[in-house]
Parts: sequence; structure tokens; C-alpha cells
Amino acid sequence: MDQEKKQKALKILSDHRDSKLLTQLSSCVHCGLCAESCHYYLAFREDKYIPARKVELVTSIWRRYNTFAGKHFPGLMGAHELDDLMAEELTDQLFGACSLCNRCVPHCSIGVDIAYLVRTGRAMLSEMGMVPATLQATVNAALETGNNMAIPEDEFTDTIEWMEEELTDEFGDNGPFIPLNQPGKHVLYTLNPREPKFFPLSIAAMARIFYAAGESWTLSTRMYDVTNYAFFSCNREDAAIIAQRLVDEVKAMGAARCVLAECGHGSRAFRWEAPNYLGQPFPFETLTNVELMLEYLEQGRIKVDPSKNPGVFTLHDPCNLVRSGGIIEPQRKILKASVGQFVEMTPNRADNYCCGGGGGQLAMSEYNERRMKIAEIKADQIRKTGASVVVTPCHNCVDQLMQINAWYKLNVQVKTLAEVVSDALIFD
Amino acid sequence: MEWYQWLSYGAFFLCLLICAGHFIRLVRLGKPTDFAAPAGSEKSGIAYSFTSGMSPKKKESAFLHLPTYLAGMVFHLGTFLAILIYLVLLVYSPPPGTFLTMIPAALLSVGALCGAGILIKRMVTPLLRNLSNPDDYISNFLVTLSQAALALALVQPSAGILFWITTTVLWLWFPFGKLKHAMYFFAARYHLGLFFGRRGVWPSPKQM
Repeated sequence: MDQEKKQKALKILSDHRDSKLLTQLSSCVHCGLCAESCHYYLAFREDKYIPARKVELVTSIWRRYNTFAGKHFPGLMGAHELDDLMAEELTDQLFGACSLCNRCVPHCSIGVDIAYLVRTGRAMLSEMGMVPATLQATVNAALETGNNMAIPEDEFTDTIEWMEEELTDEFGDNGPFIPLNQPGKHVLYTLNPREPKFFPLSIAAMARIFYAAGESWTLSTRMYDVTNYAFFSCNREDAAIIAQRLVDEVKAMGAARCVLAECGHGSRAFRWEAPNYLGQPFPFETLTNVELMLEYLEQGRIKVDPSKNPGVFTLHDPCNLVRSGGIIEPQRKILKASVGQFVEMTPNRADNYCCGGGGGQLAMSEYNERRMKIAEIKADQIRKTGASVVVTPCHNCVDQLMQINAWYKLNVQVKTLAEVVSDALIFD
Repeated sequence: MEWYQWLSYGAFFLCLLICAGHFIRLVRLGKPTDFAAPAGSEKSGIAYSFTSGMSPKKKESAFLHLPTYLAGMVFHLGTFLAILIYLVLLVYSPPPGTFLTMIPAALLSVGALCGAGILIKRMVTPLLRNLSNPDDYISNFLVTLSQAALALALVQPSAGILFWITTTVLWLWFPFGKLKHAMYFFAARYHLGLFFGRRGVWPSPKQM
């Protein structure tokens, strides 16, 4: 093992910004009662998938190098060296067997922030250059091209122009319906690059909502990517670079509001983590399009007809938006107003199970088999609702849910919240 | 006081000193600076974390494992009672054979039984055994033995030396192993409440 990289990794454990890391490293009592709160353990029933076991991988290294007892009596304290074997196990367990869904955290008997420790371990691996290649490639694409799918600007513009034509066909020549690079607008809207790449109709859906609400908004062709996969690779410097670009673009466009597209981790990474990556609060308001759509509905700026969305709808709560982002009720209020019949999954809200695509899992094809196995829990949840449509305000979840749909033969439709609202819009 | 009592209280004092060092370090490190605009109340989140957030109804670790959860609660209550009696013994020795000794002895016996049950579970359950290191066994053993020895000493004072020697070892072990969670538990709940409170996830009236 490269000693320089090892020392950098160990510094992550000894470099305390505040009392949080030290607290989490010192608190787990190995009660093992977190096991059933983890979808990996529920799917595989193997000890290595217990959240406490993942915590132990990180804390055992910390004890070995940072505590008196761990340095002098490692065997008694379960303190372990950071060597090649340990690093491989860390990679497999912290990247390949945790979707950072945070579900185990509120259920921990002590209250250990398990996902925080997993991210700490990932940060160590990042320092050692051991981020899975597929995930690192996604981060690199964002760093090098400005979006994680490396979509060239002209290709993006072509896609937007195509959607603009569709909207012009529907509403007449009152556009632009998707304003590009217009400074001084009230809202700068962001996108998950999956939208221009695979789901352009979801851009059109949001544009219809903006049009109905009479919003002053724009997209930027230079920087529209809401995602930040460095949040998953846990490289703080990379995460800060990606976040800074969006902050700079909002400032350059002079927008009062930055509205985050339907992307769980992107929302969290920008709304909650980016100000801390950058060490300063944002000089503009940041909100998700879920909150914005509810605002439009409550202010009467848009009107919806639930009969336009017949059938039984259920809702998948994206972990980063709900459990780690506090957006819990708005999507429910919106759905209840916009669809014929809404049925909750069990459990739901902050207790909902991850779809399995979080934590960068969708980007890491190395772990595809595991990802689809743990998704069985979500498939069962969906099946039990009897719903024909699964709605989720997250494009990452949409992708995973579509794969679950095919893999487990659920025969459901998967939609974003904006698509459902757009379908229900009434234009006076 | 006998020499072994002095020894035990000396170890206790040393333990307090080291734990005070841990505590001062935590306080000096301070709370995380969060530049993200809050969506909820940190204070309400922290209050929830120490109250409803710990309710067995809200935690799978409790309601899916009720026997273990209850045994853990009784074991910890026994520990607090033992510490209380340990401090009282500094200034007052209750006469054996009275309710002042028989009732605490009975309660401590139940606590010790629960501790022993949890220890046995750790030894025989593969999931827990694979998760455990020697400190997990030693820490539980010392606390369980302390409760049992105190119960015995309250009934039969001549057996007191076992209690004092056990607590001496316990206090010396305490600051170095998992028993530190007695202090870090509160810090963990604080951080948990801070995180979920600021983001508007806690307090949550509806979880299921």
C-alpha cells in the first residue's frame, strides 16, 4: 500500500472539524439491532451487510491509529491496520453494499450516524484512489464537461429545441417555452442530465408547469446539472468544484431562486451539502421543484384536474429528498390533488425503503447484481399497493424503478411528479 | 474504609478524570458549522431525539427486538442504580437484612440477569459473535459482575471485596473501551437531533 495515500486516508479520521466525527467513531456498541433496518441485510441475510459491521470497518481503523488502547492492545479492542486487504473490504462494503439511504440511522439504538461514517470511509478510499472506476468516471465526466453524462452543449441545445417545437405545437407561437441563458429571470432551473439524455419529455412537463404558472425562468446551457456524484465518491474537493459551478451560474444569471430538478441526491448535495463544501451560505434561495409545484398549487397559479390521471398511483420517497432532506409532505399534497386514487406504500415517508439505486449504486455497474437483489423489497412494497403508476420525484429513482419494473415484472408505469402534475394541468 | 474500597474509589476518580478529558475535547471541538439555510428547528430536533425519537414505537431496533430491548433497558437501569448505591456507600452503609438493602439487591439481581442474558446472546448468536471484539465481552462482563457482586454484598457484606475489586477493574477499563458510550451516547443523540431537526425531518408526527 502506498504509504503517502495511506497517511492521507488516515488523516480523514484524525482531522476533526467539530465533535461529530469523534462522536460517531466512539459510539457504536455492536448491539447488531440495526440489521433489519438495512435492505442489504434483509435481502442477503449475511452478517457482513449489517450496518454496524460497516461502521466497525471504519471505527476499527480509527481505534488502531487514534486511541491509546487500540494502539497498545489492538487485539482486545478489535483495532485493525489499514492494509490492502482492509482497503479492499472497505471498497466492497462501503461502496458496494450501502446506498447511503440513512434508513438505519434513526433506528440505531444509540443514534450513530451510520451513513456519515460510511461516507467517511468512502472519503478515505477516495484519498487512496480506490473509488470504483465507474463511479469515478461519472465524477470525472462532470468535472471535465460540466455534466455527468458528458452531453455536448450543442446536443443539449438540440434536445431543448425539439421540446420547444413540441410545446409550440401545443400552445402556439407564444414562446419561448424553454428559455435558454436569459439573465435576470426569477428562477434558474436545473436538470438531471438523464432528462436531456433519456427523458426529454420530463423537461417539457416542467416547462408546461412553468408556462401554466406564468413563471419567469430560464435554463442555462452552460451549467444545468443538478447532480453531484462527488457526494457519493466523497471527495470534498471534487464536490466543491461541481457545486461552485452551479453557484457561479445562478449568480451570473442573476436569478433570485435556484430550483432543483427532481433528483434526490442532487437536491441534497446542493441544498444541504454544497454550502458546507464551499464554506458559505448561498446568496440566493434554493428549493426543489416539488416545493415549487406545491407553492403554485397553493397560490392558485396552476390548476389541476385529478380525473386526468385515472388509475391507482403510489409514491416512492427518495431517501435523500425525504429522510435526509425533510421534503416529506409536499409530494403527497401534490399527488392527492393531481391523481384519481393515491395509495401509500408501507412503510413510507422517512421510514421508506431505498429503491436500491442510491449512494451511486446506479453508476457502479460492478454491483448490479446486488442492486437488483436488494430491490426485491421495493418490488414487494409496490406490488402490495396494487398501484398501476409509481411516482417518484427523483430521476435516479425513476431509473432504478424502471429496472425493478422489468426485473420483477411489476407491470407498472414509472413517472416523475412533474410529469403527473403536467398531465393534470388545466389551462384556462 | 478498607484498602480495596480506597482502591475502587481511586480508580473511579481516575476514570472520571479521563472521561472529563473526553468530554472537554468534545466541547472544545464544538457543534458542526452548517451554512445551509435551516428548514426546521435544531432545538426541536434535539428534543425529539432524546424523547419520542427514542420511543420503542419509533425504532425498529426496539420494536423488532422487544425482549432484547427490555433486557437492555433493565440492565442499564440496574447499572444506574449500582452507580447510585456506589456513591451512597461513600457516606453511608445501610444495615444488611433491611428493605434498604434487600430491595436494591433484588433489583440489581434482575439487572445482572439481564446483563448475563445479553452476554450469552452475544456469545451464542453468530451474527453478534461475528460483530464482537473482546472489549464487547469484557465490558458487559464487568458491568454484569459489578451488579451481581453489589447485590451479593448488600445481602452478605463479607462478600463485599468481590464488588470493590470488580468495580476497580471496571473503572480502569471504562475510559478505554465501549463503556465510553455512556458519555458518547448523549453526544450521538445530540448530533442526530441536530441533523434531522435542521433539515425538518424531526420532529415527525407520522413515520409509518
